[in-house]
Amino acid sequence: MKEMLTKEEVLHVADLARISLTEEEIKKYQVELKKLLDDVEKINNVKGYDDDILIACWENSAELRKDIAGDMLDPKEVVNNAPRHSGNYIEVPVVISEGEGA
Amino acid sequence: MYLNKSIKEINELLKNKTIKPIDLVEEAFQNIENNRELNAYITLNKEEAIKRAKELEDKEVDNLLFGLPIAVKDNIITKGLRTTCASHILDNFIPIYDATVVEKINEKNMIIIGKTNMDEFAMGSSSRTSYFGAPKNPWNKEKISGGSSGGSATTIASRDLPFALGSDTGGSIRQPASYTGIVGMKPTYGRISRFGLVAFASSLDQIGPMTTNVYNNALLLNALVGKDEKDLTSVRREDEDFTRLIGEDIKGMKIAVPNYFMSDIVSKSITSKVKEVIELLKSKGATVDYIDVDYLENAVTLYQIIAMGEASSNLARFDGIRYGFSYENPENIEDVYLKTRAEGFGEEVKRRIMVGSYLLSGENAKVYYNKALSIRDDMRKALKKVFDSYDLIIGPTTTTTAYDLTDPMDDPSKSFMDDVLVIPVNMAGLPGLNLPIGFDDNKMPIGMQIIGNSFEEAKIYKLASYLEKELNLSLNPNGGEDNE
Amino acid sequence: MSNYIPTIGVEVHVELKTKTKIFSNSINGYGEMANSLTNVVDLAYPGKAATILNCKIRRIMHFDRKNYFYPDISKNYQITQNATPIGYDGYVEITKSTGEKKKVYIEEMHIEEDTCKSAHRGTKTLLDFNRAGVPLIEIVTKPCMSDGEDVKLYLEKLRELLSFGDISDCKIEEGSMRADVNVSIRKNESDPLGTKAEIKNIGSISNAKLGVEKEIERQTKIYDAGETFKPQTRRFDDKINDTVLMRVKETGNDYRYFPEPDIPYVILTDEMIERAINSIPMLPDERREKYKKLGVSDINTEKLVANRSLSDYFNTLLDEKINHQIASNLLLGDISGYLNKNEKLITDTTLSKERFIELVNLIDNNTLTSKNLKDILDIVLESDKSIQTIIKEQGIENITDDSEIRNIVKEIINNNPESVNDYKQGHDRAIKYLMGQVMKETKGKANPKMAMDILTEELN
Repeated sequence: MKEMLTKEEVLHVADLARISLTEEEIKKYQVELKKLLDDVEKINNVKGYDDDILIACWENSAELRKDIAGDMLDPKEVVNNAPRHSGNYIEVPVVISEGEGA
Repeated sequence: MYLNKSIKEINELLKNKTIKPIDLVEEAFQNIENNRELNAYITLNKEEAIKRAKELEDKEVDNLLFGLPIAVKDNIITKGLRTTCASHILDNFIPIYDATVVEKINEKNMIIIGKTNMDEFAMGSSSRTSYFGAPKNPWNKEKISGGSSGGSATTIASRDLPFALGSDTGGSIRQPASYTGIVGMKPTYGRISRFGLVAFASSLDQIGPMTTNVYNNALLLNALVGKDEKDLTSVRREDEDFTRLIGEDIKGMKIAVPNYFMSDIVSKSITSKVKEVIELLKSKGATVDYIDVDYLENAVTLYQIIAMGEASSNLARFDGIRYGFSYENPENIEDVYLKTRAEGFGEEVKRRIMVGSYLLSGENAKVYYNKALSIRDDMRKALKKVFDSYDLIIGPTTTTTAYDLTDPMDDPSKSFMDDVLVIPVNMAGLPGLNLPIGFDDNKMPIGMQIIGNSFEEAKIYKLASYLEKELNLSLNPNGGEDNE
Repeated sequence: MSNYIPTIGVEVHVELKTKTKIFSNSINGYGEMANSLTNVVDLAYPGKAATILNCKIRRIMHFDRKNYFYPDISKNYQITQNATPIGYDGYVEITKSTGEKKKVYIEEMHIEEDTCKSAHRGTKTLLDFNRAGVPLIEIVTKPCMSDGEDVKLYLEKLRELLSFGDISDCKIEEGSMRADVNVSIRKNESDPLGTKAEIKNIGSISNAKLGVEKEIERQTKIYDAGETFKPQTRRFDDKINDTVLMRVKETGNDYRYFPEPDIPYVILTDEMIERAINSIPMLPDERREKYKKLGVSDINTEKLVANRSLSDYFNTLLDEKINHQIASNLLLGDISGYLNKNEKLITDTTLSKERFIELVNLIDNNTLTSKNLKDILDIVLESDKSIQTIIKEQGIENITDDSEIRNIVKEIINNNPESVNDYKQGHDRAIKYLMGQVMKETKGKANPKMAMDILTEELN
């Protein structure tokens, strides 16, 4: 078993997590992340699980709410919480490409 | 000095106008001031608390919690009161709404005194990952208070005030309660709304009461529970009084002790203290059996996968766009994300987010997260099965008593292993409580965990209050008279 | 240019007609920390949609988190259904201009939350969180369409079905229906599918057709020149009526899907599914078929189906023994005119089913002329009186007494020997003149058909 992650492996997870790292940090995490990943590998030693429970709110299924509007937050207050805003909009540096999702 | 009296006594004094809420509030702030070096608080709510206390002077004293000061862990959202999660990334965050539990304590006319110190985003077991420095253990200022609800445990243990809220994802109420000699309850998952609790691991997090004694704990729990439309995982239940079984005899109670909890992972001083309690219980007519429970030894591994996986997603929202700290002069949107999060989060948090992201990436979600949830369900079933034959499960809360603040933090697994005995309860969604049962040779508190079946908190309080009375410990680190 | 076989798949997002956000009951955005679930999932909307699109419905489902950092998604994850879409294996049927019927297969449809709207201003992007959290359903077809017409017909059909099912407004212009189209081409059926281009930002159904056609052209040119291209996202620019490159797709977007831990399993009971199915109104094709069987003209049938509230009203009359063509003329003619002018729905008027039947029959047997109807229309639609009573009260009752009309006709014939002569010489105009005289004499009250019959009879 290798002692530490490669620099590339650390950079890959840092990118997924959107955290920039200094060279020094990369070195540190090469060791520390490896330790945690070794820990979670122990799951492969566990036997005997059967069914595929994927959500752990075990004892109830979702109780559905009526489609009635509740309290609203004041959009001004919402926007004022943002580090950068203008009017009723929250501002970010220009995003060139369009949204990924819906 | 009124706060060291029993809640019923204080309530009488308020009712007959001998004292006013402001007297209690001022006393609490004086206590906190005297204990300032313990670093229990991140933000004090002095001005607003005094204002609230004065407003309450005109109101009828309508419940036992009326006018009483309470401290709130700093990962619970409080409208208009800074909520930092002990992180640089939220150190300027003033929320614009209240958590459901905060609305509930306000309805009872309790007064929020301040926001307590904790591990950053509740990630840690010693509160040393706090951006604001660690709280200190009132029994020995060289020692940790535990974590992540270390500030709440500290302020309760040092008798600043009678009530505090904590949150427990993998033992974060019970473990610091054990290290500081107080009563801390993690209720059944779903008992209390998580709306407004900054999510660490959604499927594990639960808010709970931290108090100096069992009765107060049950009383505060009464005020916190209930189905909430804003939290789909909260559960609708009949109203009940959690103090109702306090004072009942325990004769005939059937109690199980998992062998794993008494194995050599736990220090001798603790197991021998628990054994003393077991002997006491037997002598009082309870049955106590040692049993084997499957999967307990896997709890930490499953917890690491589930908690880090969920955390990596839950903490993605802290990106410098809508609130909180944001990197000053970003060149582009990626810069906002990368540098805000690099500067805003501390090391433990970054480590867990990165590992969590890895655990969910590509096919890994199936290999790790989904598999961990399946095994977790088996662990839950194994633990639930115990309650077919027994009323309660007991065992030590921690493997050691509180250790030194200066102990090394370079082993990333250490903070998980500190919680090896408390994590199974979260994994199974069960209620669990820490009860102080004595001290080690260095006069550091030892705690015992009492675990019940889902929604059977009242039964836990019954046993806890019985033992509390029988053991009759002096639990005030300042010495002197103890409150009841 | 060579011939290639295009393969096209479409992903459509429609906003559900709910008042509140899907996972929070705050009307505006930012309810991100609340995680309640509206009863839209109570099948009322998605279950209906799944049924209408002939999908199988999943009984036990959960939500998943799709994790990605992007400013349009406030939590940096989107709540969606990756593993357990509510509906799967469905289809809708389209009719091509050649008359050929074709099934467009639905791979799956799932529920998800909408993202926030962003507007780009120079060096800044502005985020409006109002739309964030609005419940959407995404409907994904199999890659089974082969030209722009297919796409156009599919989108039209989908819009018609979903708006008839009261599921969504389906307003493409306002963004409550949004389509992304995947286009690839290949030389032979046996070849693997070609490189895909996804067209986004399609502002209208006709643009979707045009976009597909332009994209097929573009890809054909590239392959003909012996070149290749990378998988990419393009958008339709209606200023130049063509697609333009947005970005080349990065390989392996890692969305780190996992089951949403904040939302328990959603379990649909038989009762819930039945309730959803029962709440589905008669769909357009069934309406068309029924109207045609009742003798309603093709033009009127299409007009009715295009007007949901008139069509619903008309549906209450399907089993009545009336002249349905006249009924449809009435609804689409004078009555529509009145409704449009007064900005009313037919259900806002006093025209009960019984009174409408009376009206149709009076016109059918010529008791009431269309001119006369115009005079009394406001009263018909604003009072409760029977149509007969209104006719009487307004003094526009037709003379239907045979002898009374015959007397007048005889008198007119006697007084107009020249015209009678003209008629007998074969001048058609003469009878019209004589008829005019009859109507003049009766002040327009003679039942015109009757008067004409008697006049013809008397002249011969």
